[in-house]
Amino acid sequence: MNAIAFTGVSKSYGPVRAVEGLDLTIDAGSTVALLGPNGAGKSTSIGMLLGLVRPSAGEIRVFGDSPDTAVKQGRVGAMLQDGTLVPGLTVREVVSFIRGLYPDPMPLEEILALAGLTDLAGRRADRLSGGQAQRVRFAIAIAGAPRLLVLDEPTAAMDVESRRSFWGSMREYAATGRTILFATHYLEEADENADRVIVVARGRVVADGTPNEIKAAVGTGTVRFTIGDQPTAGLDALPGVTGVEIRGSVAQLRTTSPDATVQALYATGLRVTDLEVRGADLEEAFLSLTHDN
Amino acid sequence: MLRYLGVEIRRTFRDRRFVFFTMAVPVVFYLLWANVFGKADGTVGGTGLNTRTYLMVSMASYGALGAALTTTGSRLAAERQSGWLRQLQITPLRPWAVITVKIIASMCLALPSVIVVGLAAVLTQHVHLSPAEWGGMIALMWLGTLPFAALGTLVGSLVGPDAAQPVTLICYFGLSILGGLWMPVQTLPATLRHVAHWLPSNRFAGLGWSVVGGHVPPASDGLVLAGWAIVLGALAIGAYRRATVRG
Ligand SMILES: Nc1ncnc2c1ncn2[C@@H]1O[C@H](COP(=O)(O)OP(=O)(O)O)[C@@H](O)[C@H]1O
Ligand SMILES: [Mg+2]
Repeated sequence: MNAIAFTGVSKSYGPVRAVEGLDLTIDAGSTVALLGPNGAGKSTSIGMLLGLVRPSAGEIRVFGDSPDTAVKQGRVGAMLQDGTLVPGLTVREVVSFIRGLYPDPMPLEEILALAGLTDLAGRRADRLSGGQAQRVRFAIAIAGAPRLLVLDEPTAAMDVESRRSFWGSMREYAATGRTILFATHYLEEADENADRVIVVARGRVVADGTPNEIKAAVGTGTVRFTIGDQPTAGLDALPGVTGVEIRGSVAQLRTTSPDATVQALYATGLRVTDLEVRGADLEEAFLSLTHDN
Repeated sequence: MLRYLGVEIRRTFRDRRFVFFTMAVPVVFYLLWANVFGKADGTVGGTGLNTRTYLMVSMASYGALGAALTTTGSRLAAERQSGWLRQLQITPLRPWAVITVKIIASMCLALPSVIVVGLAAVLTQHVHLSPAEWGGMIALMWLGTLPFAALGTLVGSLVGPDAAQPVTLICYFGLSILGGLWMPVQTLPATLRHVAHWLPSNRFAGLGWSVVGGHVPPASDGLVLAGWAIVLGALAIGAYRRATVRG
Protein backbone atom coordinates (compact mmCIF):
# COMPACT_ATOMS: atom_id res chain seq x y z
CA MET A 1 0.00 0.00 0.00
CA ASN A 2 1.05 3.59 -0.52
CA ALA A 3 1.96 5.34 2.67
CA ILE A 4 1.60 8.70 0.99
CA ALA A 5 -0.17 9.81 -2.18
CA PHE A 6 -0.24 13.37 -3.49
CA THR A 7 -2.51 13.92 -6.49
CA GLY A 8 -2.25 17.23 -8.31
CA VAL A 9 -1.49 19.10 -5.09
CA SER A 10 -0.85 22.85 -5.26
CA LYS A 11 -0.55 25.55 -2.68
CA SER A 12 -0.40 29.28 -3.34
CA TYR A 13 0.17 32.09 -0.89
CA GLY A 14 -1.22 35.03 -2.79
CA PRO A 15 1.04 35.34 -5.83
CA VAL A 16 3.63 32.90 -4.46
CA ARG A 17 3.20 29.39 -5.77
CA ALA A 18 4.80 27.39 -2.99
CA VAL A 19 3.84 24.00 -4.44
CA GLU A 20 2.68 23.43 -8.01
CA GLY A 21 0.93 20.28 -9.17
CA LEU A 22 2.69 17.73 -7.00
CA ASP A 23 2.00 14.10 -7.96
CA LEU A 24 3.77 11.63 -5.78
CA THR A 25 3.37 8.24 -4.19
CA ILE A 26 5.57 6.78 -1.53
CA ASP A 27 5.60 3.08 -0.66
CA ALA A 28 5.07 1.98 2.89
CA GLY A 29 8.36 0.98 4.49
CA SER A 30 10.61 3.17 2.36
CA THR A 31 12.87 5.99 3.45
CA VAL A 32 12.52 8.94 1.13
CA ALA A 33 14.39 12.24 1.02
CA LEU A 34 12.77 15.41 -0.19
CA LEU A 35 15.77 17.33 -1.43
CA GLY A 36 15.67 20.93 -2.52
CA PRO A 37 17.03 24.42 -1.91
CA ASN A 38 15.39 26.88 0.47
CA GLY A 39 12.00 28.01 -0.74
CA ALA A 40 11.51 24.88 -2.87
CA GLY A 41 8.24 24.04 -1.13
CA LYS A 42 9.44 21.21 1.11
CA SER A 43 7.96 22.54 4.33
CA THR A 44 4.73 23.51 2.62
CA SER A 45 4.37 19.97 1.23
CA ILE A 46 5.07 18.51 4.65
CA GLY A 47 2.60 20.91 6.26
CA MET A 48 -0.09 19.71 3.87
CA LEU A 49 0.84 16.10 4.49
CA LEU A 50 0.29 16.65 8.21
CA GLY A 51 -2.96 18.56 7.81
CA LEU A 52 -1.41 21.79 9.10
CA VAL A 53 -1.73 23.55 5.76
CA ARG A 54 -4.75 23.22 3.48
CA PRO A 55 -3.90 22.59 -0.18
CA SER A 56 -5.26 25.12 -2.67
CA ALA A 57 -5.94 22.21 -5.04
CA GLY A 58 -5.49 18.47 -5.20
CA GLU A 59 -5.76 15.64 -2.76
CA ILE A 60 -3.48 14.00 -0.23
CA ARG A 61 -3.90 10.52 1.24
CA VAL A 62 -1.95 9.06 4.11
CA PHE A 63 -2.35 5.28 4.36
CA GLY A 64 -5.50 5.74 2.28
CA ASP A 65 -7.09 8.32 4.59
CA SER A 66 -7.08 12.09 4.84
CA PRO A 67 -4.13 13.64 6.70
CA ASP A 68 -6.46 14.70 9.52
CA THR A 69 -7.69 11.15 10.03
CA ALA A 70 -4.18 9.73 9.92
CA VAL A 71 -3.03 12.24 12.53
CA LYS A 72 -6.07 11.65 14.72
CA GLN A 73 -5.43 7.91 14.68
CA GLY A 74 -1.82 8.38 15.71
CA ARG A 75 -0.30 6.98 12.53
CA VAL A 76 1.94 9.98 11.96
CA GLY A 77 4.76 11.55 13.93
CA ALA A 78 6.76 14.56 12.86
CA MET A 79 9.61 16.84 13.62
CA LEU A 80 8.69 20.22 12.17
CA GLN A 81 11.30 22.55 10.76
CA ASP A 82 11.34 25.03 13.57
CA GLY A 83 9.96 24.67 16.97
CA THR A 84 11.17 25.00 20.49
CA LEU A 85 10.14 22.90 23.42
CA VAL A 86 7.57 23.98 25.92
CA PRO A 87 9.07 25.46 29.10
CA GLY A 88 8.80 23.89 32.53
CA LEU A 89 9.02 20.16 31.83
CA THR A 90 11.82 17.63 32.02
CA VAL A 91 12.79 15.55 29.01
CA ARG A 92 11.15 12.51 30.55
CA GLU A 93 7.94 14.40 31.31
CA VAL A 94 7.55 15.86 27.88
CA VAL A 95 8.28 12.59 26.07
CA SER A 96 6.04 10.63 28.38
CA PHE A 97 3.21 13.15 27.91
CA ILE A 98 3.34 12.98 24.11
CA ARG A 99 3.70 9.22 24.20
CA GLY A 100 0.54 8.97 26.29
CA LEU A 101 -1.48 10.67 23.55
CA TYR A 102 -0.97 7.77 21.14
CA PRO A 103 -2.94 4.53 21.11
CA ASP A 104 0.03 2.18 20.78
CA PRO A 105 3.25 3.95 21.75
CA MET A 106 6.79 2.67 22.23
CA PRO A 107 7.96 1.98 25.78
CA LEU A 108 9.34 5.17 27.33
CA GLU A 109 12.80 3.81 28.05
CA GLU A 110 13.08 2.54 24.50
CA ILE A 111 12.24 5.97 23.08
CA LEU A 112 14.79 7.66 25.32
CA ALA A 113 17.45 5.12 24.41
CA LEU A 114 16.78 5.34 20.68
CA ALA A 115 16.98 9.13 20.75
CA GLY A 116 20.11 9.04 22.92
CA LEU A 117 18.40 10.80 25.80
CA THR A 118 18.70 8.29 28.61
CA ASP A 119 21.28 10.42 30.42
CA LEU A 120 19.35 13.63 29.88
CA ALA A 121 15.95 12.33 30.97
CA GLY A 122 15.86 14.34 34.19
CA ARG A 123 17.00 17.61 32.64
CA ARG A 124 14.64 20.46 31.86
CA ALA A 125 13.81 20.20 28.16
CA ASP A 126 13.93 23.97 27.66
CA ARG A 127 17.49 24.20 28.97
CA LEU A 128 19.31 21.98 26.49
CA SER A 129 21.79 22.74 23.73
CA GLY A 130 20.54 22.97 20.15
CA GLY A 131 21.57 19.44 19.24
CA GLN A 132 20.14 17.97 22.46
CA ALA A 133 16.84 19.77 21.93
CA GLN A 134 16.65 18.33 18.42
CA ARG A 135 17.03 14.87 19.94
CA VAL A 136 14.11 15.57 22.25
CA ARG A 137 12.08 16.70 19.27
CA PHE A 138 13.02 13.48 17.51
CA ALA A 139 11.94 11.51 20.59
CA ILE A 140 8.60 13.34 20.52
CA ALA A 141 8.19 12.49 16.85
CA ILE A 142 8.74 8.76 17.37
CA ALA A 143 7.09 8.53 20.80
CA GLY A 144 3.80 7.24 19.45
CA ALA A 145 5.53 4.59 17.31
CA PRO A 146 3.99 6.16 14.21
CA ARG A 147 3.93 4.19 10.96
CA LEU A 148 4.92 7.36 9.11
CA LEU A 149 7.69 9.55 10.45
CA VAL A 150 8.20 12.96 8.86
CA LEU A 151 11.33 15.02 9.52
CA ASP A 152 11.73 18.55 8.18
CA GLU A 153 15.42 19.47 8.01
CA PRO A 154 16.06 17.67 11.29
CA THR A 155 19.81 18.25 11.50
CA ALA A 156 19.78 21.99 10.91
CA ALA A 157 21.05 22.93 14.37
CA MET A 158 23.51 20.08 14.78
CA ASP A 159 27.26 19.68 14.62
CA VAL A 160 28.88 16.87 12.65
CA GLU A 161 28.98 14.38 15.52
CA SER A 162 25.31 14.98 16.44
CA ARG A 163 24.33 14.60 12.82
CA ARG A 164 25.97 11.25 12.59
CA SER A 165 24.29 9.88 15.68
CA PHE A 166 20.99 11.43 14.64
CA TRP A 167 20.94 9.63 11.31
CA GLY A 168 21.95 6.46 13.14
CA SER A 169 18.82 6.77 15.30
CA MET A 170 16.72 7.50 12.24
CA ARG A 171 17.98 4.41 10.43
CA GLU A 172 17.33 2.29 13.50
CA TYR A 173 13.74 3.49 13.50
CA ALA A 174 13.44 2.90 9.75
CA ALA A 175 14.68 -0.65 10.25
CA THR A 176 11.46 -1.45 12.13
CA GLY A 177 9.58 -1.24 8.84
CA ARG A 178 8.25 2.28 9.19
CA THR A 179 7.95 4.80 6.40
CA ILE A 180 10.14 7.87 6.67
CA LEU A 181 10.04 11.09 4.71
CA PHE A 182 12.68 13.67 5.46
CA ALA A 183 13.42 17.07 3.95
CA THR A 184 16.95 18.30 3.52
CA HIS A 185 18.99 20.60 1.37
CA TYR A 186 22.13 18.48 1.58
CA LEU A 187 22.59 15.97 -1.22
CA GLU A 188 24.96 14.08 1.05
CA GLU A 189 22.31 13.50 3.71
CA ALA A 190 19.82 12.35 1.13
CA ASP A 191 22.39 10.08 -0.45
CA GLU A 192 23.49 8.43 2.78
CA ASN A 193 20.12 7.97 4.42
CA ALA A 194 17.41 7.47 1.82
CA ASP A 195 16.34 4.68 -0.55
CA ARG A 196 14.82 7.24 -2.84
CA VAL A 197 15.44 10.94 -3.41
CA ILE A 198 12.84 13.33 -4.72
CA VAL A 199 14.36 16.60 -5.83
CA VAL A 200 12.05 19.61 -5.70
CA ALA A 201 12.69 23.14 -6.86
CA ARG A 202 10.25 26.02 -7.14
CA GLY A 203 7.33 23.89 -6.01
CA ARG A 204 7.85 21.13 -8.58
CA VAL A 205 9.49 17.72 -8.68
CA VAL A 206 12.53 18.03 -10.90
CA ALA A 207 14.09 14.62 -10.35
CA ASP A 208 13.09 11.41 -8.64
CA GLY A 209 15.18 8.28 -8.28
CA THR A 210 17.67 6.32 -6.23
CA PRO A 211 20.48 8.32 -4.63
CA ASN A 212 22.89 7.07 -7.31
CA GLU A 213 20.62 8.18 -10.12
CA ILE A 214 20.23 11.59 -8.54
CA LYS A 215 23.94 12.00 -7.98
CA ALA A 216 24.58 11.11 -11.58
CA ALA A 217 22.04 13.67 -12.74
CA VAL A 218 23.12 16.44 -10.43
CA GLY A 219 26.82 15.72 -10.35
CA THR A 220 28.82 16.03 -7.18
CA GLY A 221 31.20 18.70 -8.41
CA THR A 222 32.25 21.01 -11.16
CA VAL A 223 35.53 21.29 -13.01
CA ARG A 224 36.12 24.62 -14.68
CA PHE A 225 39.00 25.78 -16.86
CA THR A 226 39.86 28.17 -19.64
CA ILE A 227 39.64 26.32 -22.92
CA GLY A 228 40.08 29.25 -25.27
CA ASP A 229 39.37 28.27 -28.87
CA GLN A 230 40.45 24.63 -28.58
CA PRO A 231 37.89 22.02 -29.71
CA THR A 232 35.31 21.00 -27.12
CA ALA A 233 34.23 17.71 -28.67
CA GLY A 234 34.79 14.72 -26.42
CA LEU A 235 34.59 16.62 -23.13
CA ASP A 236 31.20 15.05 -22.41
CA ALA A 237 32.74 11.59 -22.81
CA LEU A 238 35.29 12.09 -20.03
CA PRO A 239 34.82 9.83 -16.98
CA GLY A 240 32.18 11.12 -14.52
CA VAL A 241 31.04 14.01 -16.66
CA THR A 242 27.29 14.55 -16.67
CA GLY A 243 27.12 17.95 -18.32
CA VAL A 244 29.25 20.35 -20.31
CA GLU A 245 28.75 24.07 -20.53
CA ILE A 246 30.88 26.47 -22.56
CA ARG A 247 30.66 30.13 -21.62
CA GLY A 248 32.90 32.16 -23.89
CA SER A 249 36.40 30.80 -23.36
CA VAL A 250 35.51 28.95 -20.14
CA ALA A 251 34.42 25.31 -20.06
CA GLN A 252 32.49 24.00 -17.08
CA LEU A 253 32.03 20.27 -16.58
CA ARG A 254 29.54 18.84 -14.14
CA THR A 255 30.88 15.56 -12.80
CA THR A 256 30.15 12.79 -10.37
CA SER A 257 33.86 12.27 -9.87
CA PRO A 258 36.00 15.41 -10.10
CA ASP A 259 39.26 13.49 -9.55
CA ALA A 260 38.71 11.08 -12.43
CA THR A 261 37.56 13.87 -14.68
CA VAL A 262 40.61 16.02 -14.01
CA GLN A 263 43.04 13.15 -14.63
CA ALA A 264 41.35 12.26 -17.89
CA LEU A 265 41.22 15.91 -18.86
CA TYR A 266 45.02 16.24 -18.73
CA ALA A 267 45.36 12.99 -20.67
CA THR A 268 43.43 14.50 -23.61
CA GLY A 269 46.37 16.73 -24.43
CA LEU A 270 44.28 19.90 -24.21
CA ARG A 271 46.04 22.95 -22.83
CA VAL A 272 44.25 23.42 -19.50
CA THR A 273 44.68 26.75 -17.70
CA ASP A 274 42.97 28.35 -14.69
CA LEU A 275 41.74 24.95 -13.49
CA GLU A 276 39.18 25.20 -10.74
CA VAL A 277 37.50 22.23 -9.01
CA ARG A 278 34.52 22.72 -6.77
CA GLY A 279 32.09 20.54 -4.84
CA ALA A 280 28.56 20.46 -6.13
CA ASP A 281 26.81 23.76 -5.91
CA LEU A 282 23.40 22.32 -5.30
CA GLU A 283 21.60 25.53 -5.86
CA GLU A 284 23.10 25.74 -9.34
CA ALA A 285 22.56 22.05 -10.02
CA PHE A 286 18.91 22.32 -9.02
CA LEU A 287 18.41 25.30 -11.25
CA SER A 288 19.89 23.50 -14.22
CA LEU A 289 17.60 20.56 -13.51
CA THR A 290 14.65 22.94 -13.42
CA HIS A 291 15.62 24.29 -16.82
CA ASP A 292 16.06 20.82 -18.26
CA ASN A 293 12.46 19.96 -17.45
CA MET B 1 -6.85 15.06 28.33
CA LEU B 2 -6.38 14.63 32.06
CA ARG B 3 -2.74 13.95 31.44
CA TYR B 4 -2.46 17.17 29.46
CA LEU B 5 -4.23 19.06 32.25
CA GLY B 6 -1.77 17.64 34.76
CA VAL B 7 1.18 18.62 32.59
CA GLU B 8 -0.11 22.17 32.14
CA ILE B 9 -0.65 22.66 35.86
CA ARG B 10 2.63 21.10 36.87
CA ARG B 11 4.72 23.21 34.57
CA THR B 12 2.98 26.41 35.60
CA PHE B 13 3.86 25.85 39.23
CA ARG B 14 7.50 25.62 38.20
CA ASP B 15 7.25 29.12 36.82
CA ARG B 16 8.47 31.34 39.65
CA ARG B 17 6.99 34.45 38.13
CA PHE B 18 3.58 32.83 38.15
CA VAL B 19 3.87 31.89 41.81
CA PHE B 20 5.16 35.34 42.69
CA PHE B 21 2.57 37.41 40.88
CA THR B 22 -0.53 35.35 41.55
CA MET B 23 0.16 34.24 45.11
CA ALA B 24 2.84 36.30 46.80
CA VAL B 25 1.73 39.69 45.46
CA PRO B 26 -1.96 39.38 46.41
CA VAL B 27 -1.03 38.12 49.88
CA VAL B 28 1.43 40.93 50.47
CA PHE B 29 -1.03 43.56 49.32
CA TYR B 30 -3.75 41.97 51.37
CA LEU B 31 -1.63 42.13 54.50
CA LEU B 32 -0.59 45.67 53.71
CA TRP B 33 -4.11 47.02 53.11
CA ALA B 34 -5.59 45.03 55.97
CA ASN B 35 -3.06 46.57 58.33
CA VAL B 36 -3.53 50.07 56.97
CA PHE B 37 -7.31 50.16 56.64
CA GLY B 38 -8.44 47.22 58.72
CA LYS B 39 -7.85 48.88 62.09
CA ALA B 40 -11.06 50.85 61.90
CA ASP B 41 -13.86 48.53 62.86
CA GLY B 42 -16.27 49.99 60.30
CA THR B 43 -17.86 48.16 57.43
CA VAL B 44 -17.25 48.78 53.76
CA GLY B 45 -20.05 50.89 52.32
CA GLY B 46 -23.15 48.89 51.46
CA THR B 47 -21.69 45.42 51.87
CA GLY B 48 -21.91 45.05 55.61
CA LEU B 49 -18.48 43.39 55.56
CA ASN B 50 -15.64 44.47 57.76
CA THR B 51 -12.63 45.78 55.89
CA ARG B 52 -10.40 42.79 56.49
CA THR B 53 -12.93 40.36 55.04
CA TYR B 54 -13.85 42.65 52.20
CA LEU B 55 -10.19 43.04 51.26
CA MET B 56 -9.65 39.31 51.43
CA VAL B 57 -12.14 38.83 48.61
CA SER B 58 -10.74 41.79 46.65
CA MET B 59 -7.18 40.52 46.73
CA ALA B 60 -8.19 36.90 46.16
CA SER B 61 -10.11 38.08 43.10
CA TYR B 62 -7.17 40.17 41.98
CA GLY B 63 -4.82 37.18 42.16
CA ALA B 64 -7.28 34.76 40.58
CA LEU B 65 -8.06 37.12 37.74
CA GLY B 66 -4.36 37.58 37.05
CA ALA B 67 -3.71 33.86 37.13
CA ALA B 68 -6.55 33.12 34.73
CA LEU B 69 -5.42 35.83 32.30
CA THR B 70 -1.68 35.25 32.33
CA THR B 71 -1.81 31.46 32.10
CA THR B 72 -3.76 31.81 28.89
CA GLY B 73 -2.83 35.11 27.20
CA SER B 74 0.93 35.45 26.96
CA ARG B 75 1.55 31.73 27.14
CA LEU B 76 -0.75 30.83 24.35
CA ALA B 77 0.83 33.51 22.17
CA ALA B 78 4.28 32.15 23.00
CA GLU B 79 3.27 28.56 22.30
CA ARG B 80 1.80 29.54 18.97
CA GLN B 81 5.01 31.24 18.02
CA SER B 82 7.35 28.55 19.31
CA GLY B 83 5.62 25.82 17.31
CA TRP B 84 4.58 23.85 20.40
CA LEU B 85 0.89 24.13 19.51
CA ARG B 86 1.64 22.88 16.01
CA GLN B 87 3.52 19.97 17.54
CA LEU B 88 0.40 19.14 19.57
CA GLN B 89 -1.76 19.53 16.48
CA ILE B 90 0.01 16.62 14.83
CA THR B 91 -0.67 14.28 17.73
CA PRO B 92 -4.01 12.54 18.22
CA LEU B 93 -4.94 15.25 20.75
CA ARG B 94 -7.75 17.24 19.08
CA PRO B 95 -7.66 21.05 18.86
CA TRP B 96 -10.87 21.41 20.87
CA ALA B 97 -9.28 19.31 23.61
CA VAL B 98 -6.25 21.57 23.64
CA ILE B 99 -8.26 24.73 24.13
CA THR B 100 -10.61 23.11 26.64
CA VAL B 101 -7.69 21.92 28.72
CA LYS B 102 -6.03 25.34 28.50
CA ILE B 103 -9.15 27.01 29.85
CA ILE B 104 -9.78 24.48 32.60
CA ALA B 105 -6.10 24.55 33.59
CA SER B 106 -6.14 28.31 33.85
CA MET B 107 -9.25 28.18 36.02
CA CYS B 108 -7.58 25.63 38.27
CA LEU B 109 -4.45 27.75 38.41
CA ALA B 110 -6.53 30.65 39.71
CA LEU B 111 -7.59 28.68 42.77
CA PRO B 112 -4.32 28.90 44.69
CA SER B 113 -4.60 32.71 44.78
CA VAL B 114 -7.97 32.44 46.48
CA ILE B 115 -6.70 29.82 48.88
CA VAL B 116 -3.49 31.55 49.94
CA VAL B 117 -5.18 34.92 50.45
CA GLY B 118 -7.91 33.14 52.41
CA LEU B 119 -5.29 31.45 54.57
CA ALA B 120 -3.52 34.73 55.18
CA ALA B 121 -6.84 36.24 56.23
CA VAL B 122 -7.63 33.45 58.65
CA LEU B 123 -4.17 33.18 60.13
CA THR B 124 -3.30 36.83 60.53
CA GLN B 125 -6.49 38.87 60.37
CA HIS B 126 -8.85 36.66 62.37
CA VAL B 127 -11.32 36.47 59.53
CA HIS B 128 -13.84 33.83 60.39
CA LEU B 129 -16.12 32.03 57.95
CA SER B 130 -18.12 28.84 58.24
CA PRO B 131 -16.94 25.82 56.24
CA ALA B 132 -19.96 26.24 53.97
CA GLU B 133 -18.97 29.82 53.28
CA TRP B 134 -15.40 28.81 52.48
CA GLY B 135 -16.65 26.04 50.24
CA GLY B 136 -19.12 28.34 48.50
CA MET B 137 -16.59 31.08 48.01
CA ILE B 138 -13.96 28.80 46.55
CA ALA B 139 -16.37 26.97 44.28
CA LEU B 140 -18.00 30.13 42.95
CA MET B 141 -14.70 31.87 42.50
CA TRP B 142 -13.46 28.88 40.57
CA LEU B 143 -16.38 28.98 38.16
CA GLY B 144 -16.25 32.76 38.02
CA THR B 145 -12.79 32.76 36.43
CA LEU B 146 -14.20 31.33 33.21
CA PRO B 147 -14.70 34.69 31.44
CA PHE B 148 -11.11 35.70 32.26
CA ALA B 149 -9.70 32.44 30.98
CA ALA B 150 -11.70 33.03 27.79
CA LEU B 151 -10.44 36.60 27.54
CA GLY B 152 -6.85 35.42 27.92
CA THR B 153 -7.37 32.78 25.24
CA LEU B 154 -8.77 35.44 22.95
CA VAL B 155 -5.76 37.71 23.49
CA GLY B 156 -3.32 34.83 23.09
CA SER B 157 -4.93 33.78 19.81
CA LEU B 158 -5.12 37.27 18.32
CA VAL B 159 -1.81 38.91 19.09
CA GLY B 160 1.81 37.85 18.87
CA PRO B 161 4.00 37.06 21.86
CA ASP B 162 5.49 40.54 22.07
CA ALA B 163 2.16 42.29 22.22
CA ALA B 164 0.41 39.62 24.28
CA GLN B 165 2.22 40.51 27.48
CA PRO B 166 1.29 44.24 27.54
CA VAL B 167 -2.24 43.57 26.27
CA THR B 168 -2.75 40.99 29.00
CA LEU B 169 -1.42 43.39 31.62
CA ILE B 170 -3.68 46.19 30.42
CA CYS B 171 -6.70 43.89 30.64
CA TYR B 172 -5.51 42.74 34.04
CA PHE B 173 -5.04 46.17 35.62
CA GLY B 174 -7.99 47.71 33.81
CA LEU B 175 -10.35 45.03 35.02
CA SER B 176 -8.91 45.05 38.54
CA ILE B 177 -9.04 48.79 39.04
CA LEU B 178 -12.32 49.49 37.26
CA GLY B 179 -13.88 46.41 38.79
CA GLY B 180 -13.30 47.81 42.26
CA LEU B 181 -10.70 45.30 43.39
CA TRP B 182 -8.27 47.98 44.51
CA MET B 183 -10.71 50.57 45.82
CA PRO B 184 -14.34 49.85 46.61
CA VAL B 185 -16.61 50.72 43.70
CA GLN B 186 -18.45 53.19 45.91
CA THR B 187 -15.39 55.41 45.94
CA LEU B 188 -15.23 55.61 42.12
CA PRO B 189 -16.79 58.54 40.20
CA ALA B 190 -20.40 57.94 39.09
CA THR B 191 -19.64 57.12 35.43
CA LEU B 192 -16.96 54.63 36.34
CA ARG B 193 -19.31 53.14 38.85
CA HIS B 194 -21.72 52.33 36.04
CA VAL B 195 -18.94 50.80 34.00
CA ALA B 196 -17.79 48.76 36.99
CA HIS B 197 -21.28 47.45 37.43
CA TRP B 198 -21.12 45.68 34.08
CA LEU B 199 -17.56 44.41 34.32
CA PRO B 200 -16.96 40.71 34.94
CA SER B 201 -14.25 41.55 37.46
CA ASN B 202 -16.69 43.44 39.69
CA ARG B 203 -19.29 40.67 39.45
CA PHE B 204 -16.62 38.08 40.05
CA ALA B 205 -15.55 39.69 43.31
CA GLY B 206 -19.27 40.27 43.99
CA LEU B 207 -19.77 36.50 44.17
CA GLY B 208 -17.16 36.36 46.91
CA TRP B 209 -18.43 39.40 48.81
CA SER B 210 -21.95 37.95 48.87
CA VAL B 211 -20.86 34.54 50.06
CA VAL B 212 -18.59 35.80 52.83
CA GLY B 213 -21.39 38.15 53.90
CA GLY B 214 -23.58 35.12 54.34
CA HIS B 215 -25.84 35.76 51.32
CA VAL B 216 -26.57 33.82 48.21
CA PRO B 217 -25.12 35.94 45.38
CA PRO B 218 -27.74 37.74 43.30
CA ALA B 219 -28.66 36.02 40.05
CA SER B 220 -27.56 39.11 38.16
CA ASP B 221 -23.93 38.43 39.14
CA GLY B 222 -24.15 34.97 37.65
CA LEU B 223 -25.91 36.26 34.55
CA VAL B 224 -23.43 39.02 33.84
CA LEU B 225 -20.52 36.60 34.29
CA ALA B 226 -22.20 33.96 32.15
CA GLY B 227 -22.87 36.57 29.48
CA TRP B 228 -19.22 37.58 29.42
CA ALA B 229 -18.15 33.96 29.45
CA ILE B 230 -20.35 33.13 26.47
CA VAL B 231 -19.37 36.14 24.40
CA LEU B 232 -15.65 35.96 25.18
CA GLY B 233 -15.70 32.18 24.91
CA ALA B 234 -17.25 32.27 21.44
CA LEU B 235 -14.78 34.92 20.30
CA ALA B 236 -11.90 32.99 21.83
CA ILE B 237 -12.84 29.75 20.12
CA GLY B 238 -13.21 31.56 16.79
CA ALA B 239 -9.86 33.32 17.18
CA TYR B 240 -8.13 30.16 18.33
CA ARG B 241 -9.37 28.24 15.31
CA ARG B 242 -8.23 30.96 12.99
CA ALA B 243 -4.86 31.07 14.68
CA THR B 244 -4.18 27.35 14.52
CA VAL B 245 -5.82 26.14 11.30
CA ARG B 246 -3.52 27.67 8.75
CA GLY B 247 -4.75 28.75 5.32
N1 LIG C 1 2.76 31.01 5.35
C1 LIG C 1 3.31 31.47 4.20
N2 LIG C 1 2.91 32.64 3.68
C2 LIG C 1 3.45 33.11 2.54
N3 LIG C 1 4.39 32.47 1.82
C3 LIG C 1 4.83 31.30 2.28
C4 LIG C 1 4.32 30.74 3.50
N4 LIG C 1 4.95 29.56 3.71
C5 LIG C 1 5.81 29.40 2.68
N5 LIG C 1 5.75 30.43 1.82
C6 LIG C 1 6.53 30.58 0.57
O1 LIG C 1 6.41 29.39 -0.15
C7 LIG C 1 7.64 29.02 -0.73
C8 LIG C 1 8.03 27.63 -0.27
O2 LIG C 1 8.39 27.68 1.10
P1 LIG C 1 8.75 26.40 1.96
O3 LIG C 1 7.72 25.36 1.74
O4 LIG C 1 8.96 26.84 3.35
O5 LIG C 1 10.12 25.94 1.31
P2 LIG C 1 11.29 25.02 1.88
O6 LIG C 1 10.80 24.33 3.10
O7 LIG C 1 11.59 24.08 0.77
O8 LIG C 1 12.45 25.91 2.17
C9 LIG C 1 8.63 30.10 -0.35
O9 LIG C 1 8.70 31.01 -1.41
C10 LIG C 1 8.00 30.73 0.85
O10 LIG C 1 8.37 32.08 0.93
MG1 LIG D 1 11.55 24.35 4.94
